[in-house]
Amino acid sequence: MGYGKYIAIRLLNALLVLALVTLLVSVLFTKVAEEDIKSSIHEQIGLYLRGNPELARALSQDPEKYHEWYQKEYERRLKAYGLDKPFMIRVLERTKDTLMLNFGNTKSPIFGETAVSKIISKAIPRTVILFTTAQIFVILIGLLLGVKAAQMAGSILDRGVSIVAMVTSSIPMWWFGMIMILIFSFKMGWFPSGGMTSTPPKEGFAYYLDVLYHMVLPVTTIVFVQFGGWAWTTRNIMIGTMQEDFIMAARAKGVPERKVIYGHALRASAPPIVTMTIFSLLGSIGGAIITESVFNWPGMGRLYWTALQQNETRLLMGVTFVTVALYLIAMIIADLAYGYLDPRVKVGASQST
Amino acid sequence: MRWVDVKASLKDFWFEFRRQKGGLFGLALLFLLIFTALAAPYITEPDIPKKWTQYWEGNPVTVPPVWYNYFTTKKLAPHEVLTANDLRITADGQDIGGGMKYYSFEFTYENNYDVPPSDIIIRNIGVKLADLTTPAQIVVTMIRPDGNKIELLNTELREGSIYQLAKDGKVKAAVFQWASQFENPETIAEGGETLKITMDTMKVIFAKAQEGILTNPEALKGTYTFQVEIFTFTEGDQVDLSTTQIILSGRTYGLMGTDYKARDLWAGLVWGTRVSLTVGVTVAVLTVLIGIFYGVTSAYLGGWKDEFMQRVNEFWASIPTLPILILLGAAFKGHVSLWTIVFLMVAFYWTGIAKVARSMALQIKEQTYVEAAIALGAGTGRIIFKHIMPQIMPYAFAAMALNVPGAVLTEASLSFLGLGDPTAVTWGQILYDAQIQSATINRYWWWVIPPGLAITLVAFTFVLIGISLDRVLNPRLKRL
Repeated sequence: MGYGKYIAIRLLNALLVLALVTLLVSVLFTKVAEEDIKSSIHEQIGLYLRGNPELARALSQDPEKYHEWYQKEYERRLKAYGLDKPFMIRVLERTKDTLMLNFGNTKSPIFGETAVSKIISKAIPRTVILFTTAQIFVILIGLLLGVKAAQMAGSILDRGVSIVAMVTSSIPMWWFGMIMILIFSFKMGWFPSGGMTSTPPKEGFAYYLDVLYHMVLPVTTIVFVQFGGWAWTTRNIMIGTMQEDFIMAARAKGVPERKVIYGHALRASAPPIVTMTIFSLLGSIGGAIITESVFNWPGMGRLYWTALQQNETRLLMGVTFVTVALYLIAMIIADLAYGYLDPRVKVGASQST
Repeated sequence: MRWVDVKASLKDFWFEFRRQKGGLFGLALLFLLIFTALAAPYITEPDIPKKWTQYWEGNPVTVPPVWYNYFTTKKLAPHEVLTANDLRITADGQDIGGGMKYYSFEFTYENNYDVPPSDIIIRNIGVKLADLTTPAQIVVTMIRPDGNKIELLNTELREGSIYQLAKDGKVKAAVFQWASQFENPETIAEGGETLKITMDTMKVIFAKAQEGILTNPEALKGTYTFQVEIFTFTEGDQVDLSTTQIILSGRTYGLMGTDYKARDLWAGLVWGTRVSLTVGVTVAVLTVLIGIFYGVTSAYLGGWKDEFMQRVNEFWASIPTLPILILLGAAFKGHVSLWTIVFLMVAFYWTGIAKVARSMALQIKEQTYVEAAIALGAGTGRIIFKHIMPQIMPYAFAAMALNVPGAVLTEASLSFLGLGDPTAVTWGQILYDAQIQSATINRYWWWVIPPGLAITLVAFTFVLIGISLDRVLNPRLKRL
């Protein structure tokens, strides 16, 4: 099976997942939205009557007339909201809207916007900045420590890495964030407890410094919880590679140890390490998103939190859709990278195991 | 497998496992956790889950644990509840003429603390009035170690009356008046009404009678006696003192302090073990069983069926779990039960294991002894259960242990987002409440740190066991 076909299948799979997830989301939330709108229609009619006391008086004398009028008004408004159409049609319309990134509006403004797509487009870069910075540190520290530990297998450093990896992988990241806030911003007072900038935001260059200052705690949290697991994975892969024959051959022909490790072993370990990177990135998105909300960082995590706390169903749909889409894109990139680095890979992995 | 074989292999296994220090430590932790979970009703109280959603009447709100005193220079008064046994009844229904009766009891309080109790609550006095329009009278007097006497309360006593001395305006007025005689008149003139409003009644009555008693009260240590007198005015009024409760609301409480609903966090921690272990283990076991069943079936069937099952698996695996779980949690908001959460997690987590199980089964299937078994006419079931499964089981046990931490953390995360089972006592939910009530800003460390440590402990226990099992049962990995 060729590389092109391999990519095509992965792409198709991703699109299918996205469409199906969207459909599921739409079914759930069409139902919720329907109930919301119905109760809001009753409220609106009440308000309308209060605004027109003459009509209210005229109607209050004849209960039958009132009932008839109410029913008519209710149905008129129901139709205006498009609720007269059958359920499945509405679900499909919503699915279409969501796929076109047309998520609708929130009930109250968030980040100064009410259009969900605009809110999300404001949040994504902020999340990306935080997450990318943290991951760069995680990868650098993890890779270096992992290689060192593999080089000195059985040493104190090696054992230390294993223990740290086991402990940190058991810690809920968002809880560790709370602890960091408790210690470093309220006990010591060194760092701000949340947000991305001071209020009011600073101008010019000071603005960027301010953002960096606000990033210290969340980045430290993410790095601390993740670097151990990373180092451990790298170590395990590296140790496996170091026992291969070509490493022995390289050593036998007198290649310097440094070059053996960074040139030969690391190069050969690259494909699994790269895929592990991307998959661990994907796996950590969830935890990182919750961590973000602990630090009140105005990104996707905060949107999740706000959407859940304020019952903003449209926003929740929007963020879920975008998160799933981003996740799938990253998956495809991971696959592409793996296919590129290791040409043996084929769809289904049935031959490669 | 015969029983002897099982016994022998278990013996072999234990021989190997015994040498895994981490594994043994993990096992010890696991026993401790299981013990805590089982003994929860005996360690705390059996009705905690029922009580958990309510406000805990009578307890102080958001106070640190008692042992916090070891780390502070200012000692904080612990929570104390006095019952009828601690009261010294000096007059029980003495007739003082005119149909009036006199009751009186005393209790003492040893104040060895720099910060006295935050409130004194008198409740459950068993009074039965014959005529509801003429209530009884209650007088509370305090005798301080320095000989000073303060009449704190002199008011009506009705059925079911509760007196919270620190929150009572009359008590405050009386105490302010009493304390004013010691305070510098200038300070009082300056402070005026604000001084009275901001005054902490309890700190003042337990303070040294000296200048600054109002502005900066300094605790007077020693034995305080409280005298409670009750007068009834109608013939037939009954007073039963045996149910009386005096609560000295602490500045510290119990082993782990309390939260904003005055709940004992220690009870929450202990009961949380149950949920965490149950969810973690159930999810892991079900996930692995389903995954292995799927993988082995796929490998055994082979051909287009295998191909199809693998496509389904890949499709399912590419759904990002947490966003979908959050979404489903939000859709069922408020009606989520623990079992729904377990079901959802199992539904998404089996894919990885299915993949590994399939590749293992594929390898085993090609072995000559399986071929021989087929040649001898062994059936599908026999081959799967007698030849393939025993080979995969070691992997399965390690995978089960290694899958628990993920399940525990996910359950905690969902609860932390407020999507958990609202009726269950879970650590994630305690942290959710802490987050909503800004516990970090208020430095309620006792509310934030222990639940997270508990989650970490459970996850860590299974990581230790899982890794050790993996090393013992999958010797191929031993070199790592």
